[in-house]
Amino acid sequence: MTSERSIVYQEEAFVLHGIPWKETSMIVEVLTAHHGRVPLVAKGVRRPRSALRGLLQPFQPLMINWFGQGELRTLRTAEWQGGIPLLQGHALFCGFYLNELLMLLLKRDDPHEALFLEYKQALKKLTHVELFEPVLRVFELALLRELGYAPSLEHEVVSGEPVDPHRTYRFDPENGAVQWNGSTGPDVVKFKGKTLLDMAKSNYDDPGTLAQGKQLMRILLSHQLGHQDLHSRRIIQELLLS
Amino acid sequence: MSSASSTLDELTQALRCLPGVGPKSAQRMAFHLLHRDRQGAERLLLSLAQALEHLRHCDQCNNFTEQAVCELCSSGNRDARLLCVLESPADMLMMEQTHAYQGLYYVLMGRLSPLDGIGPQEIGFDRLIQRACNGSTEEVILATNFTAEGEATAHALGVLLRAKGLRVSRIARGIPVGGELEYVDSGTLAQALLERRPATN
Ligand SMILES: [Zn+2]
Repeated sequence: MTSERSIVYQEEAFVLHGIPWKETSMIVEVLTAHHGRVPLVAKGVRRPRSALRGLLQPFQPLMINWFGQGELRTLRTAEWQGGIPLLQGHALFCGFYLNELLMLLLKRDDPHEALFLEYKQALKKLTHVELFEPVLRVFELALLRELGYAPSLEHEVVSGEPVDPHRTYRFDPENGAVQWNGSTGPDVVKFKGKTLLDMAKSNYDDPGTLAQGKQLMRILLSHQLGHQDLHSRRIIQELLLS
Repeated sequence: MSSASSTLDELTQALRCLPGVGPKSAQRMAFHLLHRDRQGAERLLLSLAQALEHLRHCDQCNNFTEQAVCELCSSGNRDARLLCVLESPADMLMMEQTHAYQGLYYVLMGRLSPLDGIGPQEIGFDRLIQRACNGSTEEVILATNFTAEGEATAHALGVLLRAKGLRVSRIARGIPVGGELEYVDSGTLAQALLERRPATN
């Protein structure tokens, strides 16, 4: 028997990824507001007439109940919530990218309610915006900030002075913005102060900010990911090139 | 020299290559084959060897066949202007059961699955593109599943095939035949509403 405490009722959740498990089941990794990322066994869900079969799809808000004590808990019910249209076209690939980031960077059972809301917001935007890149940048930064991996964009590290929009900076993933000393070389990447300040305000109206912001987020993300590859990024590039 | 236990271990390990088979089930299968159904085991051995030796992918549709081109593709009485793209051989059997389709097929043997690292190269998009550009195809019907991954696959293929000047369509989704709104799941109903079309007059 499971104890009362190990039952979670009515938690809003998104499926991040599912893998087949045993003959008729699946393990779904879900993102929730109050329990973070949780792996759940969805028993019998791969049977032809399973009621949950079509439901456990990514990018759709669900209301779920689960129980269990160990790392792998058991999904009991899931209900479709609605409110976010299905992602279509290129937005789907952006969605997979967000899910992969969460799978790689967010540890299991580490709740971040703000991050959950950012994720939901990003999915909603992906359903109707024309430019996907700003949505991705905003979410990437929110993710790193929430996990404590993003240094300040608004202050220079050495002096502590506010970043000047007209000056040029280098960005150290551990510490943050350092005033550029005029050095050049293959590993010196420079950023305009304005880029950093725009990013801090989630403002990507300036195409320059968008271009530099992509570069900066890539540096910050690869610092956290190490040698782990982002499959979804590679696949998006392969599709764009073919 | 191999002991009895290492031979058994090897069999159990080998059975684990099957999808959904863990160590326990593999052991159960091994005992069953060796003890309860040795005839069945012989048959499995033979048919597996046969299949491995003779089955290959059809040059045209990528489905399993014993020839270079399968029977369906070489039958000559299918409409070569239509090419229907599916995820699996099982999907193709379902499609044939409808008796509503007379065109040809292409079986992807999978779908894009970005989080599992399965992209266009792993699926072999280029082979499908080549097949679709053979000159006789006029319309490609994308009939991948209505899962997030199936939709992503259909989208990516649509972009690539349209760029080659082909007409591309996607099978429709909505309320099942004989479906009553009261009993249809909310997700399907919501999508059917979004994808509504003008009523016939
Ligand atoms: Zn064939």
